[in-house]
Amino acid sequence: MKLVIDSDRCKGCNLCMLVCPYRIFKEGKAQNERGIILPELDRPERCPNCRLQRLYGRTLCGLCQMICPDQAIRWDDEKENEPQKVVIEF
Amino acid sequence: MQGNTACAEGALAAGCRFFAGYPITPSTEVAEHMALKLPKTKGVFIQMEDELASIAAVIGASWTGARAMTATSGPGFSLMMENIGYAAMTETPCVIVDIQRGGPSTGQPTLGAQGDMLQCRFGSHGDYSIIALSPASVQEMFELTVKAFNLSERYRVPTFLMADEIIGHMRERLTIPDSVEVVPRKKLDPGTLPFKPGEGDIPGFPAFGEGYGVHVTGLTHDERGYPAATNPRAHEKLVMRLVRKVESARREIADYRVTNPDAEKVFISYGAPTRTVYQVLHDRPKEEIGHLQLRVVWPFPEFALSEFPDAKSFLVPEMNLGQMAREMERHTDVPVIPVPKLGGELHTPDELAKALEGSR
Amino acid sequence: MSFRDWYRIDRLPTIYCVGCGNGTVINCTLHAVDTLGWKWEETVFVSGIGCSSRAPGYIRTDSLHTTHGRALAFATGIKLARPDLHVAVFTGDGDLAAIGGNHFIHACRRNVDMTVICMNNWIYGMTGGQGSPTTPRGAITTTTPYGSGEGVFDLSALAVAAGANHVARWTSYHVKELTRAIQTGLETPGFSLIEVLTQCPTAYGRRNKLRDVAETVEYLKTHAILLQKYNRLVGEGKPVPEDMFTVGEFVRRNRPVMGVPP
Repeated sequence: MKLVIDSDRCKGCNLCMLVCPYRIFKEGKAQNERGIILPELDRPERCPNCRLQRLYGRTLCGLCQMICPDQAIRWDDEKENEPQKVVIEF
Repeated sequence: MQGNTACAEGALAAGCRFFAGYPITPSTEVAEHMALKLPKTKGVFIQMEDELASIAAVIGASWTGARAMTATSGPGFSLMMENIGYAAMTETPCVIVDIQRGGPSTGQPTLGAQGDMLQCRFGSHGDYSIIALSPASVQEMFELTVKAFNLSERYRVPTFLMADEIIGHMRERLTIPDSVEVVPRKKLDPGTLPFKPGEGDIPGFPAFGEGYGVHVTGLTHDERGYPAATNPRAHEKLVMRLVRKVESARREIADYRVTNPDAEKVFISYGAPTRTVYQVLHDRPKEEIGHLQLRVVWPFPEFALSEFPDAKSFLVPEMNLGQMAREMERHTDVPVIPVPKLGGELHTPDELAKALEGSR
Repeated sequence: MSFRDWYRIDRLPTIYCVGCGNGTVINCTLHAVDTLGWKWEETVFVSGIGCSSRAPGYIRTDSLHTTHGRALAFATGIKLARPDLHVAVFTGDGDLAAIGGNHFIHACRRNVDMTVICMNNWIYGMTGGQGSPTTPRGAITTTTPYGSGEGVFDLSALAVAAGANHVARWTSYHVKELTRAIQTGLETPGFSLIEVLTQCPTAYGRRNKLRDVAETVEYLKTHAILLQKYNRLVGEGKPVPEDMFTVGEFVRRNRPVMGVPP
C-alpha cells in the first residue's frame, strides 16, 4: 500500500507531521496551484501501515488519517513489485 | 366537555402521537389530557423544561413522521417564535395550540383575549406564511383541531389553533363522530431531491430513518437541502416558494360562514365574540344584519368580504385593539369599524347593539 | 466499510479553517460509529449552530441542523418518537453551555439515550472569536479584549452532577483514546457526553499567543493531565498547575434511562 495525500483536500496544516510516531512527513517546499504547501514524505517505507496493512487485513497506526481534518490521507494499493517510492498525486 | 379537553380529543382522533408541552394557564388542561390519553394509544407525552424545548421536540418528532403538537398561551407563544420560524423554513408539519390570555407580558392568566392574532402570522423574523384557525365553540375546538392537523400535513407548514381562555375553559356538549377524515402525509419519491417542489410548490416529505439521508437545515438551502446561505437567487427562490405555497392556495384553505349576504351592516368575527354576534342576530330577527364568521383566519380570505356586495360598513368585534380589523381594512373600501374590548370579558349584546346604532 | 464511506464526498473539502480540530473529531466519531456496525439509514445526527454544528452536513445520514442551543431538545423529540433510531448530537461549547445550558442539564437529568459530542474550543469560532462560558480566565477574545474576567464552566463536571450516564473528556490530539471514548458513549444506554477540547487556531490561537496550528495543538497536549494521575497528585498533596485540565472518563453508571426501545 502506498500513502497518498489528496492535493484537492489538503489545506497544509501539517498536523500529520506533528502526530506521526515514525516521522514520515516533513515540511514541503513548493506551493501547489491552490497556493498550499503540502507535506512531503520522508522514507515512507517506515510507515507500518504501508508495509503491513495487506498482511494484517486492517489499518495499523493510522494516526495521520484520523487526525487529518480534511480527510486528505488515504492508502492505495500498489503492485507487488513496484519500487518502494511513494508519489504524491497532483 | 371542556374546550381544552375537546381540543386534545380532536388531536387524538386526528392521529396525534406526540405531545411536548410546558404547563401554562389556561392551556394546561390540553397537556394534562394528552398526558392521560397518549400513553394508552402508544403515543409519547413529555413535559419539557420550557416552551422553546417543547416546540423543538415537536419539530424533531415530526421529522420522524409522527403527528406532533404542543399547546401554550401568550408568554409561551412569544418564546416559541424562533423555532416556529425554523419549522416554517424547513417545512415541518406541526400544530401549535394557543389558548390566548390577556397580555402583554404576564397580563391576565385566567381571562381571555385575542391579542396574538398578528403575532401568529408575523411573529418570527423574516418572511413566511402560516395557517391559523379560530374556534368559537367546544364543537369547533374538536373539528378545527382535526382540520389543523390535516392542513398542516398537506401544506407542510406550522398551523396554529388560536383559541382563547373563554372557549378553552367553557363546558358544552360535544358530539364526537365515529371517524374523522385524516389526510396522510405525502412521502418523497425515492430518487427525487428532498426540497424539490412537487405539486402545489410542496415537496414530498422525507422522514428520518427511511434511507433518504436528508440534511435539514434552517439556513437558506437549495433543492438538495444543502446550505446555500451566500446565494441571493437561492434565497429568493426559497422564500418566495414558502410564501406562495400557502398564499396561492388561499381559496382551498378558506373556511367561513356567511349569514344574510344582502345586509348593509355586517359583523365580521372569529373566535369567542362570534357567540355574542349570534345572540345579537337572534334578538333582532327582523333587521337585516349580516355576519361573516371566519374559521380560518390566516391566510386571510379577502374574497369572503365580497360575499357582501351591499355592505355599507363592517363591524369587527375583537378582544384586542383591532388586530384583524387592520388586515381587513387593506382589502376593502367599505369602512371597517373595529369594536375592541379589553379586560377579558366577552362583548355583551348591548355593546354590539350600540355599535350597530352608532354606525347608522 | 470504513469510516470514510460515511462522508458526503460531494461536500468535501469542508469549510473548516486550516488545522481545525473539528475535522478530526468528525473522523473519530465516524470511526466509532462504523466500528460498532451502525447503519447510516438508522442513524440521525443533530446539531445546533456554530463551526462544530456544520459537521452533520458532511455526513451521509439523515441530519437536523437546528437553531442555536436547542439541539438537545430537537434530539429528545426525535429519540422519543422513534426510539429505534440512533441519535448523536454535535454541538459546541457556546451552543451547549451558554444558550443551551438549560436544555443541557435537563437532557442529563432525563438521561435520554443519546450521545453528545461537544467540541469545546474555548471560543465562538464561527462568528469571529467572541468569548464563551468556557473561555479561560485572562484569555483575549473580541468581546473580552482586556482578558476574560468571568468564571469558567467545567462541562464534564456539570454533566456528572446533572446525572448523565457516561461523561468523558479528551482532546483532538488524543485521537485513539477519543475514538474509544466515543465508542463507549455510543454503546452506553442513557445520556453520554464526550467533551473534546479542540484547537481553534484562527479565532483562539491567534489572539492568545499560540502562533500556529502546531503550537495550539501542543498546548492541548501539554496541558492535559490524566484523571487518575490528577487524583493521585491531589491525594499526595502535590500541587497541580492551574491551567492544566483533566482528561479521561469521569463517570460511567447505570441510572434509569429514557428512550431506549423496549
